[in-house]
Amino acid sequence: MLRQAAISCLIAVLALPAVARTRPHYGGTLRVEVEGDGSKSSNGLIWRLEMDGLTQFGVDGTPRPALAIRWASENNDHRWQFWLRPAVQFRNGWPLTSAAVVASLTQSCPTNCPWTALHAVGASVVITSDSPMPNLPSLLAENQFLIHLMDAGDGKEPPCCVGTGPFQLAQGLPLNLVANENYWGGRPFVDKVEILTNKSVRDQWLDLSVGRADLVEVPAEQLRQAQQQHLTVVASPPVTLLALAVSDSSVLSNPNLRTAIALAVDRNALSNVIFQKQGEVTASMLPGALTGYSFLFPTDRDLNKAHEVRGGLNTPPLTLAADNNPTMQLAAQRLALNLHEAGFTVQVTNAATAQHKDLALLQLTLASSQPQPALESILRSVGVATPVIENTPAGIYKMEREFLDTHTLIPLLYLPRAYAISGRVRDLRLSPDGTPLLADVSLQDAQ
Amino acid sequence: MNLRQKLLLLFSLTVAAAVAAVSWTVLVRIRQVFEQRDQQETALFVSQFQREFQHRSTEVAAAVDHIAASERVRAVAFQLVQTGDAAPYLTEAQTLAQDGQLDFLEIVGPDGKIVSSAQWPARFGYFEPVAWVDQPTFLKTEDLPDGSSALGLFAIRAVGRSESTSQPVHIIGGKRLDKSFLADLPAAPGMQIALYKDLNQSPSTEQPHLGPDFAVFDPKRLISSTGELPYASHYQSLISSAINSGQQTNAILYLTDHREDSVNATAIPLKSDKGDILAVLTVSISRSGMVQAQQHIRAIAYGVAAGGILFAIACSLWIAAKVSGPIEQLARAAEQVAAGNWETHVPERSRDEVGQLARSFNHMTAELVSQRERLVQTERVAAWRELARRLAHELKNPLFPLQLTVENLIRARALDPDEFDEVFRESTQTLGMEIANLKTIIGRFSDFSKMPKPQIERMDVKDALLRVMMLYFPGLTRTPTTLEDKETDEAIVESKVDCSFEFSLDEMWIDADPELLHRALSNLVLNAIDAMPDGGKLILCAKPLAAHIEIRVSDTGAGLTPEECERLFTPYYTTKQHGTGLGLAIVQSVISDHNGSITVESHPNQGATFIITLPKSTS
Repeated sequence: MLRQAAISCLIAVLALPAVARTRPHYGGTLRVEVEGDGSKSSNGLIWRLEMDGLTQFGVDGTPRPALAIRWASENNDHRWQFWLRPAVQFRNGWPLTSAAVVASLTQSCPTNCPWTALHAVGASVVITSDSPMPNLPSLLAENQFLIHLMDAGDGKEPPCCVGTGPFQLAQGLPLNLVANENYWGGRPFVDKVEILTNKSVRDQWLDLSVGRADLVEVPAEQLRQAQQQHLTVVASPPVTLLALAVSDSSVLSNPNLRTAIALAVDRNALSNVIFQKQGEVTASMLPGALTGYSFLFPTDRDLNKAHEVRGGLNTPPLTLAADNNPTMQLAAQRLALNLHEAGFTVQVTNAATAQHKDLALLQLTLASSQPQPALESILRSVGVATPVIENTPAGIYKMEREFLDTHTLIPLLYLPRAYAISGRVRDLRLSPDGTPLLADVSLQDAQ
Repeated sequence: MNLRQKLLLLFSLTVAAAVAAVSWTVLVRIRQVFEQRDQQETALFVSQFQREFQHRSTEVAAAVDHIAASERVRAVAFQLVQTGDAAPYLTEAQTLAQDGQLDFLEIVGPDGKIVSSAQWPARFGYFEPVAWVDQPTFLKTEDLPDGSSALGLFAIRAVGRSESTSQPVHIIGGKRLDKSFLADLPAAPGMQIALYKDLNQSPSTEQPHLGPDFAVFDPKRLISSTGELPYASHYQSLISSAINSGQQTNAILYLTDHREDSVNATAIPLKSDKGDILAVLTVSISRSGMVQAQQHIRAIAYGVAAGGILFAIACSLWIAAKVSGPIEQLARAAEQVAAGNWETHVPERSRDEVGQLARSFNHMTAELVSQRERLVQTERVAAWRELARRLAHELKNPLFPLQLTVENLIRARALDPDEFDEVFRESTQTLGMEIANLKTIIGRFSDFSKMPKPQIERMDVKDALLRVMMLYFPGLTRTPTTLEDKETDEAIVESKVDCSFEFSLDEMWIDADPELLHRALSNLVLNAIDAMPDGGKLILCAKPLAAHIEIRVSDTGAGLTPEECERLFTPYYTTKQHGTGLGLAIVQSVISDHNGSITVESHPNQGATFIITLPKSTS
């Protein structure tokens, strides 16, 4: 009996941490470090903490209610109506109204919008378009269309965006986001998120290892290294499309030249060496896991055919713009070398300062895990505002094929997004586009 | 040019020529010695530099050796050989290059493909075209991502060569040959190192017909440790010569118009392992120190030469003075003797020829003085004899009629009283005339013998001449007051002498006795009138000279012979039928008493001009 009691006690003691571990606690400061400027929409980390969209992506990648509690479409998706969640306030205390939503959406999309008109109708927002918008709910979940209010400030501080998100930005450096006690989705577990920006990956990992950071970035090409260093890594599926955008004007207006470029690129070298086999070679805009037909787009390099297609056409030196981080620059240099073998002279430049770009190495994020909205989102990213109406694989394939045959976008790789976390962090999940959902994170040592 | 100037010039030229010749010889020789030494120094510096360059090559090789021998690289090589997976080592070369302080580093796998490249990371997977040379170091032109190429000093090492591996992993490392590399090379003071590279780039665009292989010299490609080399275009010939010959070449380059900006430049062609010239290294050593030293020496030489010449001129002056002084004294003494000062004596200071000449001169002047005294005495005796003869002749003339008259009277005493009275009357008349004549003769002689002392006063010569003109020039306003004046006027008018005068408008003051001067001038005018019995021209001139007043009395009479001119002023010498011959002697005496001189210029039938020179008044 005594032995049984002892064993039970022992089991209970051993089980206690497990019981304690599964139950999140409120409090604590989550320390995040990023390489770039977290306020930019392309990264979206801070935006996601400060603002909400009318919709948000669920774990299955489908749009779920956020600031809009429900929606409906009419007239073959030419008209949508979104009913707003009541009793939601912006950080400055102003109520969430349909007018504010219309103003925010109008500001977020000055041109090339998927809709034609926005109307505030009572507690709802009506969005209409001349062409069908079957993917509008998914679209409204993207970072670009998060709802915000421009606060002019009291004159002492500059104007800033005010959102309804789970955290509120406090002024100063590092960026401090304080939990929104009155968040409609429930107060976040952590009291504060402290974000250090413009930190190199090496410094981030160093801070993680010495306990000065809780969540740091892991670039795709360093995933293997992070694993070798036994970091706790949370990685998304391949959600970032690395693609080469080719201008179809002036020098490269001849489609044969663009075709030659597409045939000359060596995806395997990029994937195997530069991205350390963490990427998925692709010639399609959507990953195979999403569509199942990506193998239909050949990925192999054919230099001879590139020369054949190019013929004797001479081109002046081309500019290839890429982000100023070493990996992207290296990838751009490699592509320049590939194209050099095909007879093109390419000069790699910094995307931020380049005035003219014949070619651009882009990183496009897969916003949705649904093929239709995902394709539409990618097309929109490269300036093609064509709604994807087809919802069958064949239809989507056809649309993708038609677009890719113009060779104005040459998909190269799909890459995951990954983060390394400290032992304190619990329940970190990534959204479908790979952004960490920090509102649901709790800290191990919070009381 | 006098003797002293000639001597001075001669000595100075001789010394100057000697100094110039010596200086030129010395300077040429110094220049040769400096040039020789400069070349030796240059060769020494260049060889030192080449050793340093070689040392740098050794350093590169050592760095690559160190990298190749490191555990890390050996581990990488092992993994590469074992797994063939080069992906994890993509950035390895950059890290190794940083650690080894190399500009270039590549890891080449067993298959000859680049695993990792520090200078061109994107070139992984490409074959490395470097030939596997067996040299410790070699030069190579490395292509870069931006399309350019860089010249580098490379070394290649194998890692992990074993029996099981057919081809090992290779490490190829190098340092860039750029201005940083040049800056690291130790340069002696005044040495400048430059590198001319990219020989085969940019074919001539100005001469496209030469083809792509011909590269035009581009001064911008000649870089030093501080960037573009100043005056790079001056190196063109040297570098071209080195490239064409493939050998080390050196030359003196003048970078500017100033000689001190010249350099002793050596061009060393840098070749690849295949013997192609990839670049040319130039080592320039400034010659400014040498040139400045030369200039300094030259300046000193010029200074010494100038000083020497000046000293020589000064010595020449002294020597010339010493040599020419006695001769000049002799010359002045001779002039004085010529001027009449026969008692001039020159000092006899030496025993040489000049001293002998002085002694001879003194002897000569002494002889002249004694001879003059004898001559004066002789002339005096001759003059007394002439005077006595003339006096005897003059006196004899009137005495003979006197004697005849007295004898006539004695004879007439025997005649009757009426005839005796007539004879007595005639005889007494004759006696009276001849006695008057005798008195005149004796009176003139007395006048000549006792010429009064001049009463000197300041007077204008024009006044004396006007007084004479008033007296003798016809037509001038004057009223004859004496019979003599009247007769003179009539005589002048009858003689048809054309009288004129030429006076300077300047004042001509002299210190003279107006009466004596008038007497002398009157005498000359009368003589001139007497010399033109058939008419002619009489001209009176007066003009100031530097220190004298010159008076000229000119006539157009018969003129005088040279012998007459010589004796003209001798007392009792006359060319007239009538006259005592004392007039001109008196004139000469008057002029002489006034410290002046009188000369005559005349030729037969060309008239005569008497020239009186009187000193100007000093008051």
